[in-house]
Amino acid sequence: MKILVPLVTMLLVPIAQAAGRGDEAAARAAIQARFDAALKADAAALDRLLADDLDYCSFLGTCETKAKYIGDVKSGLLKYQSIVSTTDSVKLFADTAVALGSLKVKATRDGQLRELHVAWSAVLAWRDGRWQMTTWTSTTIDPKAK
Amino acid sequence: MKTRCTTLSATLIVVAALLSGSCIAKDNGREAALRSAEIARFQANVDADGAALDQLLDAGLEYSHSNGKLDGKGSFIASIKDGSLDYKSMEPTIQSLRLFGDVGVIRGQVRVSVVLDGKSHEIIIAYSDVWLWKDGRWQMTEWRSTRLPDAPAK
Repeated sequence: MKILVPLVTMLLVPIAQAAGRGDEAAARAAIQARFDAALKADAAALDRLLADDLDYCSFLGTCETKAKYIGDVKSGLLKYQSIVSTTDSVKLFADTAVALGSLKVKATRDGQLRELHVAWSAVLAWRDGRWQMTTWTSTTIDPKAK
Repeated sequence: MKTRCTTLSATLIVVAALLSGSCIAKDNGREAALRSAEIARFQANVDADGAALDQLLDAGLEYSHSNGKLDGKGSFIASIKDGSLDYKSMEPTIQSLRLFGDVGVIRGQVRVSVVLDGKSHEIIIAYSDVWLWKDGRWQMTEWRSTRLPDAPAK
């Protein structure tokens, strides 16, 4: 009988976890928390909010890992001065959220100041009882585009 | 009693293994199908194949062009069909493809030759798109791209 307990637990835990899925409000909060953490260079918060398999692609089309992104923020290589973001939509598909938005950001990278207006998309996965960002892509917004 | 429990345990392990194996096989099949759908979508753009695009694009599509312009499924297919968005060639390179349940996320680059409102463009863009497994097929629900800064411009 003893062997049954871990087996049944193994089978039931995923069902219990599924019942506690994240909702849209929590996804929106996680997105905003990520911006706040980036602005404060809060590496511990970023570590919780970003998935280990994060694929972080900037408006330049280059992509970074979670460790590289947090490392750059922590070291000050990438320093945010202001982030004003709007989340336009969040679509939920079971344990995955797909979000679209735009932001105005002022930041320095390698000492070079950039002020950008970008459209972004993010994919968040519900893992370990919280939303974690697994994909980020952005593109600069051409003010002339209609 | 002990023998019965052992037999039951063994059965549960086999069932769990079969379910796990089934999920892996399903993911492998879906991954291949997603890769095919992605290639088919680029080809449908070039062929201006509205029927194929109708199958490959989700009704809730949000298509954000590299210039920030946003299209829905209807307006995107319409612009392809009426020739205002005329893709001459698209040469994609898929750099990563990941599955999250019924959601697929692809990132890549594509060399594009396009005539937009009568003006030719030769550009290279980095893109990411999101696909949903619905009605037994992959459907693209989101596209976002950024023009690479060193792309040749005309």
